[in-house]
Amino acid sequence: MPEQTLFQPLTWSDLLVMAPELALGAWFVLLVVLELLLPRAVSRNWIGGLTLTGLLGAFTLILLRMLESNGEVISLLGDSYRVDDFASMLKLLFLAATALIVLLGLGTVRYDRAVTDKGEYFYLLLPAVIGAMTMASSGNLVTLYIGLELLSITSYVLVGLRRKSSLSAEAAFKYVITGGLSSAFILFGMSYLYGVIGSVQLAEINAALPGALEQYEALIYTGFLMMIIGFAIKIAAAPFHAWSLDVYQGAPTPIAAFLAVVSKGAALAIVFRMMFATALFASPDRTSISSVSDEVFFIVLLVAAASMLYGTLAALRQLNVKRLLALSGVANAGYLLVPIGVSFTIGHLNNMSEFLFYLIAYLLMTIGAFGIHTVVSRAAGHDELSGYAGMYYRSPWLALSMILFVLSLAGLPLSAGFFGKLFIVLGAERAQAYWIVAVMVLSSVISYYFYFGLVRQMFMRSSNGLSGASHSLDNDEDAEEGYGFRTSGTSQTLAAQEAKAGHIETAGSSEQADEESVVQSAEAKMENSLSSSLEQGDGVIRIPWPTGIVIALCAILTLALGIVPGPLVDIIQQLFSFPLPSH
Amino acid sequence: MLSSYLTLAAILFCIGLYGTLAKRNAIIVLLSLELMLNAVNLNLIAFSKYGAIPSLTGQLFSIFTITVAAAEAAIAVAILIALFRARGTVLVDAFNRMRR
Repeated sequence: MPEQTLFQPLTWSDLLVMAPELALGAWFVLLVVLELLLPRAVSRNWIGGLTLTGLLGAFTLILLRMLESNGEVISLLGDSYRVDDFASMLKLLFLAATALIVLLGLGTVRYDRAVTDKGEYFYLLLPAVIGAMTMASSGNLVTLYIGLELLSITSYVLVGLRRKSSLSAEAAFKYVITGGLSSAFILFGMSYLYGVIGSVQLAEINAALPGALEQYEALIYTGFLMMIIGFAIKIAAAPFHAWSLDVYQGAPTPIAAFLAVVSKGAALAIVFRMMFATALFASPDRTSISSVSDEVFFIVLLVAAASMLYGTLAALRQLNVKRLLALSGVANAGYLLVPIGVSFTIGHLNNMSEFLFYLIAYLLMTIGAFGIHTVVSRAAGHDELSGYAGMYYRSPWLALSMILFVLSLAGLPLSAGFFGKLFIVLGAERAQAYWIVAVMVLSSVISYYFYFGLVRQMFMRSSNGLSGASHSLDNDEDAEEGYGFRTSGTSQTLAAQEAKAGHIETAGSSEQADEESVVQSAEAKMENSLSSSLEQGDGVIRIPWPTGIVIALCAILTLALGIVPGPLVDIIQQLFSFPLPSH
Repeated sequence: MLSSYLTLAAILFCIGLYGTLAKRNAIIVLLSLELMLNAVNLNLIAFSKYGAIPSLTGQLFSIFTITVAAAEAAIAVAILIALFRARGTVLVDAFNRMRR
């Protein structure tokens, strides 16, 4: 009976298997208490250092577990928690990405005056990554949901951490609403699936699905469709991506990188596991029964194609770098959905390694690009593309590594992204899904245009990146409240700006009806005041050492994977024990 | 029996979806979100009693969703309060400063 398997108690040996997650959880509680007890004078960067230590500890524990278990699948708590190579590999990725993001935080949070609780910035990443790890190894719809919500709820808070910026709160609110919608869709789909199968175990769903399909076809289709919609919202895939632009723009930049890499990666991982562990079934004898799997996989491919095309086409007109990176994330979610959507066919079974390789490449290039953006936006005082103007002449190494990341995002040779896309294209071609290959190539070619717009800014323009930005209200607010990099000589204009911002805030609170017009007139005023004084940032690019480490590491690994991808592919293919359920 | 429960849940879900997407007041939007989640709970419990293979799992699942939804609502309201302090309104029309 399913309900009996859900009540399996946790034994001591189980505790050992779950050690990385449990240790991280305990470490999180410890850090919360420590942060409360630490006197105010102590820099919260210590909390960041301890968070980093915890992440590296969990990384080591998982690595040890992987070496010890040697590819066998361990399932705990009545198969609701599965530890296999797929899960372990993804957990390693999530932990490494979070560690890089903590480093980025160490480099930026000190200068970000809008973040009042600097300790939370670091230790809240721990429950988020525990959620991602739980998702990666869930073998049961309930575990999946709990992991998903642990990750989501923590990221809502993280997005809203810039407490003095109302943009951050706005982004957090939008994220909560879309996140809630996506959970509701996923749960609604799950409830139908549970209803017709009578179990929430992925393996049992897989076994019972062919039989149930004859009776309850409509319910099963609706269930899968709802779940795909929900997950598509979570991974910001095309028709459901609109939130990601606003949320990335309002969130602190390292947190935006966290959303782009860990949240998206975890949701994609769970889509991978869901699709291959439930929808894919009974391939030899499915000639007689109508199969849900083909249609479901086709819908995934449609979402992938829409994401790739929309992500690249919308990015052509985008001038805000954070929104640009969000759109690039939409397109990349499309690329990552392709190995899932083409499914297994005879002669094409390495979807897993294609998926993991591109996920690693995506992790490196996205975190690298966001890392560079933290430095550049701090120097320029805004998030616009024009902040990159003449960057090569101000900081050649940074510009060169940005070119590397851009090459990788565009999928050109000498970068990890090239091989990632190549493997996916070859895989799709072997699965004979030629139309998706065409869409992939087309969207890659279109994307060259805006990626090279960035390169053009860095080389062809000789400027310090301060002027020429289309200053709108939110940038001013951001710059004003956000970063403490202003030099003392500009305090006069600063005071003027603050007075203006205060005016806007009070106007907004007194009368809602004409807020729109007030905001617009204030925007015009602000623009005037800014055209006369362009000194929000001083244009000098300074790289704090933690950010430097992140950028260097990402750049070296992107280049290394772009020249010799072989070893990593071998490692992934050797380690990999695919968690296909046994019938 | 089952079909009437399922219909009710589907109607609740649709009302919730409409409210989330179309309402102007952020509090109503949050309430509509809860309505969608409760439609799911109704589904789960109906299936756990009258489903193809009745089992306790559905009720367990619904307890999990209720708990998590409560946590989510708490966070959502906290964020909304922060936003209300900054903007002085809970109308979602005012939360549009990122458009360009």
